[in-house]
Amino acid sequence: MDLPVWIADYALPVAWITVQIVALVAPLMLAVAYLTVVERKLIGYMQLRVGPNRVGPRGWLQPIADGLKLLLKESIFPTQANKGVYIVAPLLSIGPALLAWAVIPFGPTYQTPFGEVTPVIAEVDVSLLFLLAVTSFGIYGVIMAGWAANSKYAIIGSMRAGAQMISYEIAMGFALIGVIMAANTLNIGEIVVAQSGGFWHWYFLPLLPLFVVFFISGVAETNRLPFDVSEGESEIVAGFHVEYAGMTFALFFLAEYANMILVSILTALLFLGGWHPPLPVAPFTWIPGPVWLLLKTALFLFFFLWFRATFPRFRYDQIMRLGWKVFIPVTLVWITVIGVANLTPLRAVFH
Amino acid sequence: MAVTQAIFYLFATVLVVAALMVITARNPVHSVLFLVLSFVNGAGLFLLAGAEFLAFTLILVYVGAVMVLFLFVLMMLDINLQRMREGFLNYLPLGAVIAFVLVVEMGAMLAAGGSGAVVGGDGALGGTEAGNTTLLGRVLYDTYLLPFEVAALVLLVALVAAIALTLRHRPDVKKQDPGQQVRVRREDRVRLVDMPTEGAPYAPDTGATGSKGGEG
Amino acid sequence: MISLGHYLVLGAILFAIGVMGIFLNRKNVITLLMAIELILLAVNLNFVAFSQHLDSLAGQVFVFFILTVAAAEAAVGLAILVLFFRNRRSIDVDDINYLKG
Repeated sequence: MDLPVWIADYALPVAWITVQIVALVAPLMLAVAYLTVVERKLIGYMQLRVGPNRVGPRGWLQPIADGLKLLLKESIFPTQANKGVYIVAPLLSIGPALLAWAVIPFGPTYQTPFGEVTPVIAEVDVSLLFLLAVTSFGIYGVIMAGWAANSKYAIIGSMRAGAQMISYEIAMGFALIGVIMAANTLNIGEIVVAQSGGFWHWYFLPLLPLFVVFFISGVAETNRLPFDVSEGESEIVAGFHVEYAGMTFALFFLAEYANMILVSILTALLFLGGWHPPLPVAPFTWIPGPVWLLLKTALFLFFFLWFRATFPRFRYDQIMRLGWKVFIPVTLVWITVIGVANLTPLRAVFH
Repeated sequence: MAVTQAIFYLFATVLVVAALMVITARNPVHSVLFLVLSFVNGAGLFLLAGAEFLAFTLILVYVGAVMVLFLFVLMMLDINLQRMREGFLNYLPLGAVIAFVLVVEMGAMLAAGGSGAVVGGDGALGGTEAGNTTLLGRVLYDTYLLPFEVAALVLLVALVAAIALTLRHRPDVKKQDPGQQVRVRREDRVRLVDMPTEGAPYAPDTGATGSKGGEG
Repeated sequence: MISLGHYLVLGAILFAIGVMGIFLNRKNVITLLMAIELILLAVNLNFVAFSQHLDSLAGQVFVFFILTVAAAEAAVGLAILVLFFRNRRSIDVDDINYLKG
C-alpha cells in the first residue's frame, strides 16, 4: 500500500525499533527480577536451608515485594554530595548494561514472508567491538557513585571496584581477540555460525584457556563473589553504593544482574555455539535454537550463583595479581598459539 | 537526508557545548565528565563519517581508559579548589580574542578554498564485500607495518615510564608469594618433640568447686 | 548533505576551544591536559572527514596513530604530575618551573 513518505521512512522504522526494544527489555527486567529470587533460593538450598518462601506460592512473588519496597523507599541525598553527579551515576551504570543488549543475536536468520529476519535489534558488523566499548563505559557509574556520595566507605569501594574492572576488562578483551582471530569476524552472529556442527566445533575446546579466562573475568567485571571486594558486605558495608537507597539503589542492582546475564549469554554465544544444539541429529534439533541459547545462558548463570555460594572472597591484592600476572599472560600466550595455528593446516579446527 | 543533517547538528552542538564546559567547569571532576561527553559525541560524528572501527576504538581507548586514568589521578590528588580559580578572569579576554581569530581565519580559509560534496564509497569506508575494519586491518599490516610497530614501541615505553616514575618501594610492606606458599613442606614447619611428662597425671575435680568458680 | 566544510569548521571550533582552554587554565595542569585532548579530538575529526572525502584510508590510519600517541602522552604526563604533586603539593602551572635546574 502507498503510505506517505513521512510514515514509511520515519515513523514506521522508529515504531518497529521501539517494539523490538520493548520486546527485549521487558523480559530482561523480568529475568533480572526472577534471577534475584532464584539466587536466594539456590544459595539457600546449597546451604541446607530453604530460600524465601513466604511471598506467593513457594516464594515466587518475592521480586514483586522487593520491587515495591525499593520503589516506595525514600531515596537518600546526602547534603554534601555532588547532586548532579550523584543522580547521574546510577544512570551511567544501567545505561551501558542495557545498551549492550542491542547487538546480542538470539537466533539464526529466519526466512519469513516479510523477508529475512535476524532476531537482533541492531545488526552491526562490528558488534563485538561495540560490546567492548560499551562494557568499558560501565566503569564510570561505579567510580562516580563512590565519589559523589562523599563518604569514605564509598570512595574506597569505588576505587577498588574501578581498578578491578579496568584490570579484568583487559583480560576479557584479549580473550575476545582470540575468538575474533578464530572466527575471522567481529560479528557475533557470524561467530556463532562459524561454530555450527556438533559440539566439537564449538570454541570452548580449541580456545579452552580463553574460555576460562573470559568467564572468570566476566565474574570479576560484574563485581560478583569471589571478586566483590568493592561491595564487601562484611568489610566496607556496601562499598560504592552505600549512600544509595530506594530507586537509585534499585538501578545499581538491576545493572549488576543485567550485566551478569549479559556475560552469561556472551559466553554461551562465543564459546558454546550459541543457538546450535550439541549434536546436529534428530532429537536435539526439535528444540528451537533460541531455547538452546537460553539453556546455555542458564547454565552459566548457575555457575555465577554457585561461585557465590561456594567461594570465600578474594583479597584485593590477590585480585590484582590474578588479573595482571596470571590472566593476561595466559591470554597473550594463547593468542600467539592461535595466530600460529591459523598459518598451519590446523586452521581447519576453527573455520 | 535531513535526518542525517539533524543528527550531525545535534552531535556537533552537544560536542561544542561540552567542550566549553570542559574548560570552564569549576570542579575538575565535572570537566572530566564533560570531556567524556565530548568524546562520545565525537565518536558519533566519526560514525556519521563512516569510520566505524575508529569510533568504537575512540570510546574503548579514550573514554574507557584515558579518562578513567584522569579520574583516578584527580581523586588521588588533594586539590585546593579555591586557589584554582584565581587568575581565570585575567586571561579570559586574551584567550577569547585569540580563539575567535583562530576560528575566523580557519573559516575564511575553508570558504576561499571551496569544499566539495562528500564522496563516500568502497575505497575507504568499506562496501558490502569488506567492512571498514577489514580494509583498515589490511592497510595497517601491509603499507603501514613499520609505523604500526613503532606505535607499539611507543606504547611500551609509555607503560614502562609511567610505572617506573611512580613506583614507590615502601620498606615495611609484607607481600605473599603464592608459589612459595604452595611449595611449603610439612617437614619444614612441624617438628614433633618427645618430652617427658612433669608432675602427676591430671585428676578431674568434683562438681562443687568447678561450677561456683565459673560465675562472674 | 553534510559537506566536508561542516566537519572542518567544527574541527576548527573545537581546536580554538582547546587553545582557549590552555590559556585559561593556568592554575590546573589536569584541565590543561584535557584541553590538549580536545585539540587532538579536533585534529582526529579533520582526518576522518578528509578520509571520507578523498576516499582513502590514510586518514583513518593516522587517526589510529594519533590515538596511540595521545594515550601514551596522557599516561606519562599524568605520571609526571603525580610525582610533582607528591613533592610540591600543588598542581599550579606556574609552579612547574621548579622542575628546571
